[in-house]
Amino acid sequence: MNLYATQLECLLVILGLGTLLTDAFRPGGDRRKLGYLLATLVTITLLYSFTLAPTADTFFHGMYRLDSFALFFKRLFLLATAFVLLMGAEFVERFETGVAEFYALVLLAATGMLVIASVNDFILLFVALELVTITFYILTAFLRRQVQSLEAGTKYLILGALSSGFTVYGIAYIFGTTGTTNFDKLATLLSAGGSGSAFLLGMLLVLTGLGFKVASVPFQIWAPDVYQGAPTPVTAFLAVGSKAAGFALLLRVMLAGLLPVSAVWMPVLLVLAAATLGYGNLGAISQRNIKRLLGYSSIGHAGYMLMGLAAGNALGSQAVLFYLGQYAFTNLCAFLVIIAVGREEIADYAGLGKRSPILGAALFLAMASLAGIPPLSGFFGKFQLFAAVIEAAQTNWHYYILAGIGAGAVVVSLYYYFNVGRAIYIEEAKDTTPIPVSLPVRAGLYVCMLAMIGLGIYQQPLVEAATLAAGIFGLK
Amino acid sequence: MTSEITLNHYLWVSGLLFALGIAGVVIRRNALVIFMALEMNLNAANLALIAFSKYNKIVDGQVLVFFIIAIAAAEVAVGLAIIVALFKRKQTVSVNELNSMRL
Repeated sequence: MNLYATQLECLLVILGLGTLLTDAFRPGGDRRKLGYLLATLVTITLLYSFTLAPTADTFFHGMYRLDSFALFFKRLFLLATAFVLLMGAEFVERFETGVAEFYALVLLAATGMLVIASVNDFILLFVALELVTITFYILTAFLRRQVQSLEAGTKYLILGALSSGFTVYGIAYIFGTTGTTNFDKLATLLSAGGSGSAFLLGMLLVLTGLGFKVASVPFQIWAPDVYQGAPTPVTAFLAVGSKAAGFALLLRVMLAGLLPVSAVWMPVLLVLAAATLGYGNLGAISQRNIKRLLGYSSIGHAGYMLMGLAAGNALGSQAVLFYLGQYAFTNLCAFLVIIAVGREEIADYAGLGKRSPILGAALFLAMASLAGIPPLSGFFGKFQLFAAVIEAAQTNWHYYILAGIGAGAVVVSLYYYFNVGRAIYIEEAKDTTPIPVSLPVRAGLYVCMLAMIGLGIYQQPLVEAATLAAGIFGLK
Repeated sequence: MTSEITLNHYLWVSGLLFALGIAGVVIRRNALVIFMALEMNLNAANLALIAFSKYNKIVDGQVLVFFIIAIAAAEVAVGLAIIVALFKRKQTVSVNELNSMRL
């Protein structure tokens, strides 16, 4: 029964280890085709995951859950992994060696993310979190002859290890003061009795430590450098997979385990959300490298989603899930274009609309969706998050300030997203050679664009899935 | 006055280790020394977990300690490899020199 619950993880581990073996049995094989094959297999796994039914049972002595929340995130991670493998296949020529290892590491990191979706205990939380984080250290520094990639890896390593230290020290205090590491038992204990200052210290340490994954203040400083320096498929995985994993953990820990003490962490999250919004959006204004711009933008978007979590109501947590879902398509679309173009300065994107209409349109749509222009999915996502904050403001006027800061952030973000849009359609190209787009990338771009427009106009399916997933927390 | 070692003594030592670790990360500029300080943070948590386990008589904390030790070893293996690769490329491991990606 335990093994049955973890079948998706098992599948990915088998795929990952099998991929490692290809170097031993078929050295010099076509690595690009291998990437396409793996992306297809992960897509099949994604489709298969829809046959699994959520259950209220726990597995592995209460450590692991397979509820609708876990399944929602597992599907999101599988989707991201399939796209990242596709990107890896397109990136093959730019890796010097070890393409099969790259695919294997992506699959193993994805396994960690799938476990994160199901975490119900601090011990499993730490192990799954580190599986993802340590794999990402390697992936970030994967282009080991390039200074930028190595610098990005070192920065990610130092800040990642620091945040792990915070998390685990916080877990020690939570365990020490309550005597349990299980989220369910923790919630029961906390709702029965008060909590001392040692416990609150532990909780704040865990909160800040988990903030590293989503790139929120005070652990946001790595994002611009690491996004810029890492190989582009890894950057995409960081922006879509790793960030969603961070939010899966934050939601689960805060809303399942620590909900009885929400009066303490909500104000903290409110301040963190405001600071993250400000840092990300102000930092993005003057950027000239598109990956670095998306790094700052990802900090900004972490701020929007923290708004939903800080609101602490049913609408807020559902809005975070919807936002993560549509944010995945939007970011994957942008990074697919960046990989196809192969250049990183925003100036290099001048005249992209003429050089390759599909790439130009895809990047333009992605930027417009990130900026929150209707009728794209980013608009509806932001709309829900702001609605959740306004709802929370009915009982606590401080949330109006947060909504104000969020609105200011949206206005600022219009400027830098449309800088990219202007480059695509208004500026003249210096180099007018058309850019070839391979068939799989074309297919990926169509899926993403369809999702961005489709989820903007007809939000119902994703909203329903998000409502079902967030329903397990029983918020009002 | 008894001179027994209590839970608080362990926690003070662990807190001191953690503070030293943070100070090391903030003050030192050598990536290797910073990495050493980061490992100290994890060990501070280990000490706290073991002390809590012993005084609360619940074994879960010690189980977590085993995982932390194993994970810290993996982290060191990967971390040192990255720092060595960085040294080969740049001939320095000072974090002040990690500045190829400014605006």
